[in-house]
Amino acid sequence: MSLLALLGVLSSAIYSGTSLLYTTLGEVISERGGIVNLGLEGVMLVSAATGFAVTSVTGNPYFGILASMLSGGLINMLFGYLVIARKANQLASGLATMFFGFGLSALIGAPYVGGKIESLPRILVPGLGGLPKQYTFQFQFDLLIYLVVPAAIGVWFLLFRTRWGLSQRAVGESADTAFAAGYDPNKLRYQALFLAGMLAGLGAAHLSIVYTRTWKEFMTAGRGFIAVALVIFSKWHPLRAIAGALLFGGAVAFQLLLQASGVNISPFLLDSIPYVLTILVLMAWGGTRKQSAPASLGRVYRGSE
Amino acid sequence: MKTKSTLMFVSLFVILGLILAACQPAATATPAPEPTQPPAPTTVPPTDVPTEVATDEPPEGPCLIIGALYVGSVKDAGFNQAMHESLLQVKENIPCVEIIEAENIPEGPDAEKTMQTMIDQGAKLIFPTSFGHQEPAFALSEKNPDVIFEHVGGYMMSGNFANLFGKPPETFYIMGAAAGMMTKSNKLGFIGAFPIGWSVTFINAFELGAQSTNPDAETIVTWNFSWSDSAKEAAATDALINQGVDVITMHVDAPSTIIQTAEARGVYSIGYQSLAAQQFAPEYWLTGVGFTLGGTMTWLTQNVIDEKWEPIFLRCGVADGCMTIAPFGPKVPQEVQDKVGSLLEDLKSGKMAIFDGPIVDQDGTVRIAVGSTLSDEEMGNVDWFVKGVVGSPK
Amino acid sequence: MAVTSQVQPLNSLFAKKPVQVFVRYLAIFFVAFVLFGVILWLAGKNPFEAIRDMLVYTLGTPSGFSEVIVKMIPLLFTSIAVALPARVGLINVGAEGQLYIGAMFAAGIALAFPQLQAWILLPMMVAASLVGGAAWAFIPVYLRAKGWVNETITTLLMNYVAPTIVSFVVYGPWRARGAASAPQTVDFSASARLPSFFGTRIHLGLIIGLVILAAYWYLMKYTRWGLEMRAVGGNPQAARRNGIHITRYLMLAMCIGGAIAGLAGMSEISGIHGRLRPNFSPGFGFTGFLINWLSFGDPIGIFLMSFVIAIITSGGDILQLKQGLPYAVLNILLAITLYVVLAKPTLFRRKKA
Repeated sequence: MSLLALLGVLSSAIYSGTSLLYTTLGEVISERGGIVNLGLEGVMLVSAATGFAVTSVTGNPYFGILASMLSGGLINMLFGYLVIARKANQLASGLATMFFGFGLSALIGAPYVGGKIESLPRILVPGLGGLPKQYTFQFQFDLLIYLVVPAAIGVWFLLFRTRWGLSQRAVGESADTAFAAGYDPNKLRYQALFLAGMLAGLGAAHLSIVYTRTWKEFMTAGRGFIAVALVIFSKWHPLRAIAGALLFGGAVAFQLLLQASGVNISPFLLDSIPYVLTILVLMAWGGTRKQSAPASLGRVYRGSE
Repeated sequence: MKTKSTLMFVSLFVILGLILAACQPAATATPAPEPTQPPAPTTVPPTDVPTEVATDEPPEGPCLIIGALYVGSVKDAGFNQAMHESLLQVKENIPCVEIIEAENIPEGPDAEKTMQTMIDQGAKLIFPTSFGHQEPAFALSEKNPDVIFEHVGGYMMSGNFANLFGKPPETFYIMGAAAGMMTKSNKLGFIGAFPIGWSVTFINAFELGAQSTNPDAETIVTWNFSWSDSAKEAAATDALINQGVDVITMHVDAPSTIIQTAEARGVYSIGYQSLAAQQFAPEYWLTGVGFTLGGTMTWLTQNVIDEKWEPIFLRCGVADGCMTIAPFGPKVPQEVQDKVGSLLEDLKSGKMAIFDGPIVDQDGTVRIAVGSTLSDEEMGNVDWFVKGVVGSPK
Repeated sequence: MAVTSQVQPLNSLFAKKPVQVFVRYLAIFFVAFVLFGVILWLAGKNPFEAIRDMLVYTLGTPSGFSEVIVKMIPLLFTSIAVALPARVGLINVGAEGQLYIGAMFAAGIALAFPQLQAWILLPMMVAASLVGGAAWAFIPVYLRAKGWVNETITTLLMNYVAPTIVSFVVYGPWRARGAASAPQTVDFSASARLPSFFGTRIHLGLIIGLVILAAYWYLMKYTRWGLEMRAVGGNPQAARRNGIHITRYLMLAMCIGGAIAGLAGMSEISGIHGRLRPNFSPGFGFTGFLINWLSFGDPIGIFLMSFVIAIITSGGDILQLKQGLPYAVLNILLAITLYVVLAKPTLFRRKKA
């Protein structure tokens, strides 16, 4: 396997990892605030369909990306209404949101299947212009890819260096204590969920508008769930999520490279590695080290009514 | 507090609904044909299964209700669109038929339920169009001897169950020949969905065609293990291009993602399934093949109406109009176009012999001896790649 | 681990009268259908026609109704598979994975002994599927009992591992060669197929499912075992003080749950598919999880909810054929039904007030 091929894996990993990373970052925020959303798959689907539809109608991918973010945020508000205002079980509400997303995205996207849209241009990484074509070829990325690492740093800054992040994490540790300290847990959680939905929307926009330039029912094919696993894998930390997304995205690319090199190894066992790895990592941390998971994750905040 | 949050619940639904409503009007903007009208109530004489939905029948109804089953969307610019357009042509040729269609029906036994629903709606001729619809359709055909099933792309046969398809190996051979002339790196890419016999045969035909014009050409194969995982298709296209591939073709349901990714990276693509794929590669389109089964399906339908239908194992190719070669892209030199033209002549005159021995596999073992060839049935069971293909046939 | 969910309220369990339960569910569906109708109306369809078509076809025609029952069978199993562990406070999100492994084990037996007679082969397949599902459920509950990893996360993640293992065997060692070169095993012999009834696809799995549902009801309501399980789920500390061996109950409940989910897999491949195929379950495990939440683990609720969810999921064909709606749209109705129940606390209490 040549250097070129390995660079190719890196390039592919960056492409397929981007949508995962955005979505994971969103879920990190909401889980830091104490809410686990298993419905990401549905959120992504609705965002992907809406983004594609708006791009198709307006002819402008930037509008599509905005619409995608907005619809992601809105679906998460619906989810938030159930788990925050209605104090419903988070897992069940998440799965219900997933099914809702399946159906709603099919309805929104149906008129646009098979449509052709304008997409974002691929721009060469600055400073690499002098390299031979087969190298420059692999380092042409779109705007959303360039923004994903800054977004991760931004989320890290938001969570760990701002007052809002401090209060968000306080709510995630214990909503009651946070309430006693003068925060409004419900408001903070709605904010976190809206932001999380917008980030998932960005991820979905990259998937449908940029990466595949298509809309198909169920096109996320489990990526929403991978994002949930990635949050755990990266220990609820936005910067570790970068490495996690590269690894998960790279697994797909590496498997394709093996196939294209004629190596006969079952792709299915390779497919399961990210999940098995996550479980192993959890086991390694469990019991021994301090958990990084927000302590009140998944718990219902009964409030002070 | 309670009223407020309930209000919010309702308003969220309304907002979502508005998004939806806002998206609707644009439906007319899409060039693809609208899905068929919701079927009018049936006038078919009572079948074994009483249908309560058929109470308000108009005095005159369709001469035949045709049910069609697709694994994806009929606007996918791929296989499903090709099948759908073929059926629209049937409707055009025989206006008295009525077509009821079901999209996005997963492969597997639940397709039987969908087809049963069609029969309950009065369908007397059913076109299950995906490979994985074959077994459920066959099971249902045994329970409904008065309904005729024309499956697309399978092999099963019975008194009321037959199969039709194009002859993709010969077109893949021609495409391979064109690809062999176009490539500069001598590396061609093939993205397959599942390692099934037919796909393997297509790849072999493609590579043999490429070798006929360029002995150094090799075909690199990746499998997606899905007919329609777009993101994986994009990743596979990238992976192949990173391996140095400069012409890409595929056997997936909807090729638009692969073609667009190749176009964005300045790599030639060869379409397969539907002629509608060409719009996605204005610059680097090489050529492509689409299924155009409208004429054949019309003939079969007319036979059913005239009660002359017989189960025939039907395979028809470019020469019969069942498959059509797409127009060439702007970058294809005259020399390549002429070669494709002459190969088409060979094909029509019966001079083309793709799998005539000797043919050796990847390990150098002779798989087809001198003087023999592959039969149609054997083509569906191939589990080896010809020499020159990189990848695993399993 | 930190992901915890509140244990379901047990006081309401088994306490309500059937009629009350029934009326409540009816109210839920009424609200759900109204909201669904609004969405259809916004999408430019006639909601009355759509809902009428759906109900008339699924409830009013023999073939439509038989398909509702067919769809209901796996849901009965998977919802009990979630409900039983939930009684001791375990969250089993992994019925989907357990179903796949159970199916794989059963298929292994069916492929290894095709010549055996049905009366011996079918019980062997059932046993194998129970073992497979239980084994798959044992991993997360063991990790939980050791205090390493919370079972919610592991069961969820293992849902994605199980189908890849099935795909591996189906594409690899067990793949049928020859004419049926589709990725699947060879057809099971006739003796490995659960018998079906009335010329429909309704199969013996229905009876097995109902028997298990009855056993679950009896276990929970009349045995000491059920009482202790509820004690463990209600207040583990108090249960421990009363000398109940908690770990044993956790393990047992989860493994039995997993075994029942495994049986769902066996019943599907033996009753419906007749072979092992990759990705054969359209999310029965997840739907089972939701049915358990909808019904609060109540046996009558499980029965009714499975039935109703089966109506919803088998109505997609007719919505598409008669209304031109995408097949997937029925997921909206499914989700709204869930939303109504999940949002229930004030929505329904207020009605009474």
